[in-house]
Amino acid sequence: MTTVTGETSPQGGGVLGQPLDSREDPQLLRGEATYVGDIDLPGTAHMAILGSSVAHAKILSIDTKAAEQLPGVLKVATAADFTDVMPLPCIWIPGGVESHFPPHPYGLPGSRPVLSGDTVRHVGDPIAVVVAETPRQAAAALAAISVEYEPLTVVTRADEALAEGAPQLHEAVPGNLNAYWTCGDKDRTDAAIAAAEVTVELDLVNQRTINSPIEPRGAVGDYNAATGEYTLYASTQGPHNHRFLLSALVLGIPFNKLRVVAPTVGGSFGTKGYLYPDMPLVLLLSKALGRPVKWVDTRTGLMNSTVQGRDHRQHVTLAGTRDGRITAVRCTSYANLGAYPSTIGPGVATALMGRSISGMYDIDAAFCEVYAAFTNTVSLGAQRGSGRAEAAFLMERLVDRYASEIGMDPAAVRRKNLVPKEKFPYDNGLGWTYDSGDYQLNFDRAIELSGYADMPARKTEARARGKRLGVGIASYVAICGVGPSTRMSKEGMLGGTWESANIRVHPTGEVTVTVGSASTGQSHGTVFAQVAADELGIDPATVQVYEGDTLKAPYGQGTYGSRSYSMAAPAIALTARKIKSKLVKAGAVFLGVPEEKVVYADGQVFEEGNEENTKTFAELAMAMWYGWGLPPEIEPALDETTHFDPPDFNYPFGTHVAVVEIDELTGETEVVAYTAVDDAGNIGNPKIVLGQIEGSILHGLGQALMEHAEYDLDGQLVSRDLNHYALPRAIDAPFFTLDKTVTPSPHNPLGAKGAGEIATVPPAAAVVNAVVDALSDLGVRHIDMPVTPEKVWRRLRGEAQ
Amino acid sequence: MDLSLNVNGRPEQFAAQPNELLVERLRDGLGLTGTKVGCDTGQCGTCVVRLDGRSVKSCLILTAAAAGSAVTTIEGVTTPGGELSGLQEALRQEHGTQCGFCTPGMVMALGELVDGTADREAPTEPEIREWLTGNLCRCTGYHSVVRGVQRACSAARADAPAQPATAAASGQEG
Repeated sequence: MTTVTGETSPQGGGVLGQPLDSREDPQLLRGEATYVGDIDLPGTAHMAILGSSVAHAKILSIDTKAAEQLPGVLKVATAADFTDVMPLPCIWIPGGVESHFPPHPYGLPGSRPVLSGDTVRHVGDPIAVVVAETPRQAAAALAAISVEYEPLTVVTRADEALAEGAPQLHEAVPGNLNAYWTCGDKDRTDAAIAAAEVTVELDLVNQRTINSPIEPRGAVGDYNAATGEYTLYASTQGPHNHRFLLSALVLGIPFNKLRVVAPTVGGSFGTKGYLYPDMPLVLLLSKALGRPVKWVDTRTGLMNSTVQGRDHRQHVTLAGTRDGRITAVRCTSYANLGAYPSTIGPGVATALMGRSISGMYDIDAAFCEVYAAFTNTVSLGAQRGSGRAEAAFLMERLVDRYASEIGMDPAAVRRKNLVPKEKFPYDNGLGWTYDSGDYQLNFDRAIELSGYADMPARKTEARARGKRLGVGIASYVAICGVGPSTRMSKEGMLGGTWESANIRVHPTGEVTVTVGSASTGQSHGTVFAQVAADELGIDPATVQVYEGDTLKAPYGQGTYGSRSYSMAAPAIALTARKIKSKLVKAGAVFLGVPEEKVVYADGQVFEEGNEENTKTFAELAMAMWYGWGLPPEIEPALDETTHFDPPDFNYPFGTHVAVVEIDELTGETEVVAYTAVDDAGNIGNPKIVLGQIEGSILHGLGQALMEHAEYDLDGQLVSRDLNHYALPRAIDAPFFTLDKTVTPSPHNPLGAKGAGEIATVPPAAAVVNAVVDALSDLGVRHIDMPVTPEKVWRRLRGEAQ
Repeated sequence: MDLSLNVNGRPEQFAAQPNELLVERLRDGLGLTGTKVGCDTGQCGTCVVRLDGRSVKSCLILTAAAAGSAVTTIEGVTTPGGELSGLQEALRQEHGTQCGFCTPGMVMALGELVDGTADREAPTEPEIREWLTGNLCRCTGYHSVVRGVQRACSAARADAPAQPATAAASGQEG
């Protein structure tokens, strides 16, 4: 269970900051929400995808004849049927590095073809599709396709893929190196390390994990031959992005002939923002067959095709003084991009990780280099807390290692090195400039709330019960609010990363808000209504929010990196201000007074000093709709749009403290207490954010204790379903003690920072620090994730890692 | 083969393949899409329905094996757009959802626990968590769901006619 301390802090005395109930919940609770698998258009045919059964091979032949003759089969297609389709693009090649990949026809880095033809590069690599009358018939037909492979040598680790003699995945990429990327000051860092009183080093494996949204991905394509328009219904967190990428860069059809609709989406955590082959395939096959074509993935299919996360092998070094002052940090990382560069995977593995490695600390010299390599595994992408979690893990492990080396308390070392409040905005020397923060306040609150001072006594008490108690701290800074378009272009991102909102006030006084963002379970309909209602001073029940459909909403980039509340919500607030400003001008006409005497407050305009002379919001809405008596400089109606491109990112932060107990007999690790104090600036709806924090922490604990996408030597994914891939269950969630500090960001009008995924960033480090603390008297200095009972049991018996 | 089921109080007769799963009949055959498919291996619990009153995973049972039984799906818990059940209302108040994909399965799995609460002691938090182990949720971390069940159990016991057994346990409520 969770204890939450601290009070909620409404910002303007209005509905923003209040824990309103989610208006999305009733339909979810009744099972009435429509997910992509629930869409049933008349005449729908069903698609199934054949993925490669081997990890690396030449395809010698594909025989589809038997499949074509099976009952219900409408079409069997292979790469040869799609030669005029452009490859899927990769739109985030790390800035400043040369792209080593076969180019897309438009001069972009390519990613992968819609179906693989000559060569397969991972198990699940799509090579053929079947469309049939029923899903069962389509699945049966897949089994009747025979593929002849000539096996090639397999490599699944990034460091091994870069070694001499490693199998080569792509002709155009010699040595399998997609990018060598660096940030920070190498010479200064090397010098600081060479001159340091103390240095500590660690070799870390940040294991590959699978996000595992409970809803697998799905897509429905519907081509209208009469109008030439395509509609794609897909489990996407960025319908506008998918529209742009698919129309302009893959299908080569006019932008305005493709509509993308995200119905209710069953979780994403980063994975559903990517372009996958199934999306163009359902559209192309719908056109070919003259019927809607639907595809819904299986769990094993998801495990073998939807982007996976983390996966770095790192050598990291920290330097400092004997009295606990950190002077340098350095990281060399081998990032495993999988078989193809996913839509934005290369950027996640480099910039999102590398620029974050110094965390909350004021460090004079820092340097990170990343070798991003191709291997015979599923493509790498984002995963809740992506990049930032990997960075926090390495830094927070290093700080503990350093504290142990100099015999200082880990909390005291951290306290000594926090970026001081007066140093903001703070340039971390790795490319990010932290916007605002009071790290000391946040850190002290977490330490106090966790009962850190009582830990020695608790350790003694636990030993009497046959348990080893350990405590681990992890602090973090997470870059969120992507973001400033120009800045992101320098990071190598193709396309703007602004966000838009439109507000339309109807003659009856009700309001429609449309945004380019798209919820994957974050109650946007509730929170965004709060934002508009708060600014306009009206009842949120009169505000309806639409998103997730390119026909209804203006452009936007979607939901990723915890950006919706600090990107879309400010766009809404700014749009509401335009509406208010127009109503003040019009109010002068309606009230018959000069504009400077008109006041807008609480959803009405009135004459300053004469509050009897007033017009309510509903009266104004109707009057603007009629447009009678308006001077030529005021257009009738109320319909405004804002495209919000912030001056810079925002940087939430926090400190988590994990307490674990290890069973001496079984090696089992139980998280017995967990304290988290996060700072996401001003929060729109604390009830909704609370749920996101709780879920995020458990996700992070999952990586620490049980999750692992494990490939065998042949490149088969051993953890190919939920019988073989462990996800945290209800009994795995410990007691949480949560609190927050509030440091508004100066980079948006709401003072908001990202919130949704930030609490996934530190838990893995906190738990591993706690486990190492519990085992430190045995000489254990590090233990790789996931911290399984067997691993711990072996260490308890003196075996080396 | 010709089979019959009573689904949400309505008799249904249909022809089914011997290897048809109950979840396929419900979703594809009867259009009751509130029941979800999340994992294909019985791990995630999004497909839980009640079969003759007991919660079962409908992806692990053949339609033929359920023949003649009474099935309750999420659609049978409320009328469209209608009033929420006690459990659903409690989950709403605690925001025990996020993306909602696991939610119908959880409502169906937890209903049995909450329904039984009126005339016995309220389940403890560990008991609720044990009950939830057959359902996976990636969004919430389960805390809000547990709070929702506690709230629902309290409400169910408050509404129940006073009995000696419940009166003795009432000190544990809240």
